[in-house]
Amino acid sequence: MTYTPTLGGSSAAPGDGPRDAVSTFERHRAELRASKRLWNILGLVAFVVCLGLSIWVSRFYPDRLAAGVPRIFEYFGTIMPDLQWSVLFEGRTEEGRAVPGSLTFWYTDFWTYMRLIWETILMAITATLIGAAVAFVLSFPAAANLAPNSWVYWISRRFLEICRGIPEILLALVFVFMIGIGPLAGVLAIAIHTMGALGKLFAEVNENASSRPVEGITAVGGSWAERMAYGVVPQVAPNFFSYALLRFEINVRASSIIGFVGAGGIGQELNRVISFYSDDRVAAVLLLVVLTVTIIDLISERVRLNYIGRENFQ
Amino acid sequence: MSIAAISAVTDDQIDRVRADHPGAFATPLGTIRRWAPLVLAVIYVLGSMWYFEFGKLLESSERVLRLLRAFVVWRDMDGWAYDQIYVGIAQTLAMAFLGTLLGTIGALMIGFVAARNVMPVMIVRQIVRRILDVLRGIDSLVWGLVFVRAVGLGPLAGVLAIFVSDLGTLSKLYSEAIENIDRKQVEGVKATGASQLGVIRYGYIPQVLPVFISQSLYFLESNTRSATILGIVGAGGIGMIIIERFRAGLYDQVAFVVLNVLVLIFAIDWVSKRVRLWAIGEKHDA
Amino acid sequence: MLKLQKLTRQFGENLAVNNANLEIPDGQMVGIIGRSGAGKSTLLRLLNRLIDPSEGQILFGDADIAALKGRELRAWRSDCAMIFQQFNLVGRLDVITNVLTGRLYDVPAWRSMAQVFTPRERAFAIQALDRLGMAHTALQKAETLSGGQQQRVAIARALAQEPKILLADEPIASLDPMNAKIVMDALRDINRQDGITVICNLHTLDTARNYCDRIIGMQDGRVVFDGTPDLLTTQMAREIYGAEADEAFNEAATSTALPASVAAARVMA
Repeated sequence: MTYTPTLGGSSAAPGDGPRDAVSTFERHRAELRASKRLWNILGLVAFVVCLGLSIWVSRFYPDRLAAGVPRIFEYFGTIMPDLQWSVLFEGRTEEGRAVPGSLTFWYTDFWTYMRLIWETILMAITATLIGAAVAFVLSFPAAANLAPNSWVYWISRRFLEICRGIPEILLALVFVFMIGIGPLAGVLAIAIHTMGALGKLFAEVNENASSRPVEGITAVGGSWAERMAYGVVPQVAPNFFSYALLRFEINVRASSIIGFVGAGGIGQELNRVISFYSDDRVAAVLLLVVLTVTIIDLISERVRLNYIGRENFQ
Repeated sequence: MSIAAISAVTDDQIDRVRADHPGAFATPLGTIRRWAPLVLAVIYVLGSMWYFEFGKLLESSERVLRLLRAFVVWRDMDGWAYDQIYVGIAQTLAMAFLGTLLGTIGALMIGFVAARNVMPVMIVRQIVRRILDVLRGIDSLVWGLVFVRAVGLGPLAGVLAIFVSDLGTLSKLYSEAIENIDRKQVEGVKATGASQLGVIRYGYIPQVLPVFISQSLYFLESNTRSATILGIVGAGGIGMIIIERFRAGLYDQVAFVVLNVLVLIFAIDWVSKRVRLWAIGEKHDA
Repeated sequence: MLKLQKLTRQFGENLAVNNANLEIPDGQMVGIIGRSGAGKSTLLRLLNRLIDPSEGQILFGDADIAALKGRELRAWRSDCAMIFQQFNLVGRLDVITNVLTGRLYDVPAWRSMAQVFTPRERAFAIQALDRLGMAHTALQKAETLSGGQQQRVAIARALAQEPKILLADEPIASLDPMNAKIVMDALRDINRQDGITVICNLHTLDTARNYCDRIIGMQDGRVVFDGTPDLLTTQMAREIYGAEADEAFNEAATSTALPASVAAARVMA
């Protein structure tokens, strides 16, 4: 930014002797180009240094890459299902065996997967509800304009920041250790992260709320809680709702992977399948996860647009 | 007579007002409708608490306390292998940087193929978009796990994971930016008789470059967060150190590393906000 | 009897209200005039304790209002209703709920949090609205009403408080002359019929002259005039308003003076 004064043109030129417009312009142009070139070179050097260091630190060398890339394609080859059109919709035989090449064979454990996906969605709903409820309560003391005093504000802000800062999966790791393998650890981890993330967003919404209704409620003798409930909540409720729905979409993704550390949901199965097998089961679970996430996104987007649309037309 | 006092309101008056303004009074149906969402949510949460066995949290309070104590009491701080920790953090940053860079380069090409106004062939566009949807639909941690299986433990898998998931998201954002550009400038370049590549270089790139840069910077920030946890599945970076120490029961070191990660994340947030503001300001100046 | 003794409020270097000494007997209708920034608004906010005085006392009966805290302070605010230039209603709540907020002080906490009001409270609120001619809008959202209608709802909310004093901070500054007249008539009606003390900040002189028993002039935070409207000479008023005199005297600006026929037609409607 140091070169910006030269952009000021003639007004910034110190007057030490007469000079015509062309030479002034040329001089400024030269200065501008020189400083621009300098910045470009500096930027390029910084970039190259970063790149070099990154390659060195992460050992991202061409030979490793050359050895790795073919293996990637090989791996993707092995996880693809070997479906055959002729038997694609064959059911089980009388002995209860599925025919290789049929969908039934590919999705032998279909109902196990469905149960886990159901669990994943329940985890996301519970964590979103709990997290949003706490975020709702904390968003008022964490809003600079509404906090009853600066102490409460500071503490609730820092609390939300910490909740938001720790990655969910790390929290889940800790909870799994504390309370054992299972979805509870995942729910708690996601709920805490949601608390922090939504709390911050909610507090920002609160800070943008008009102070007039709040003043009105103060003037009738309303307590702090009444000021929030009558003066602020009606203004911010629609925004809170759509933020919470957005968070729900994110939480479905989170709960589908949080099982990697044993915290329940389809992620646990995904981890098991990827880590122990190199066959079409991997593609089967991955496909289900992608479908689930996409469908939830579509539904949630619909609800959000409907709700916001309705609010705006009232 | 008209000194209004609520205590002076007679039951007769209440009935009369109720007859005139029935909507202003609570009705059983209205009450149910108002409370139903909240009651249902509470019932759901209570039910799911039972389903997820929230009681376990209380039963394990002794373990919780033990772990919390282990987090706080730091022992033998001399032998903590700090070099490994900070190399891990450097590796995390490197993974984020390389992954974002590769993702940006890839998205630069694919973004144009997925944009309606550049790629007129519908089928190609649709296929590219569906593939991008799949790349995006799978979390980077899953990609990490997959690439660890494919290329082995280490940062290479992490870089690839960030690259692939960025490719999905950035390409989509880039193609949207390309679709939203001003057509007149493109026509101007076309009118000079430029080739398709020339049109892209002089008609499209100048318009979309600022958007691309700011989006990539934003992704660099969020990728640093992802990179810290990719190690949990073995894809390099600080996450690998966290999980190794955790498995080894070195909880004090875990707490130390997590604190470092938190500082790193807050610092990256701060720097990235500054850089983006600066980039916007610079654009404004020029 | 409301008594102000050496009431002072300082914002940084600036004395917004400087050593105000006033006695306002019950049932009076008082107009406070002065140019913008003279401290009228600060004075009213001090009375309702929306802001705290830097020095001095506010006495109502035997109670020192300036020292109240917590629940007692809220009790005072509920006794001392206030209406605002921008109405300060909750736009997204319906009108009846806005009026019912006037009862918040008397409603137990669990009921207020759950927005549960008794039939008696609801009937009272409707009566208050009816008095302002606004009962038909009870179920509309407040933000869908016009400015004049919102101010009338705000007055209904004040009535729902069963106040002893009604403070009005520039109640008609955002309204057109017709609505301004309706609002001022309502305030005078409340003052005359219910015997509620009304203290009203007004920007225009003629409104103050027409409606108030007593006029208080403020300049740079100090009370410079206190007396009946007929004691306020043109010379005095010019001094109070200073550079804004022409605007304040211009009866067409935001005054309540309407041709009689228009006003009558409006009130009948």
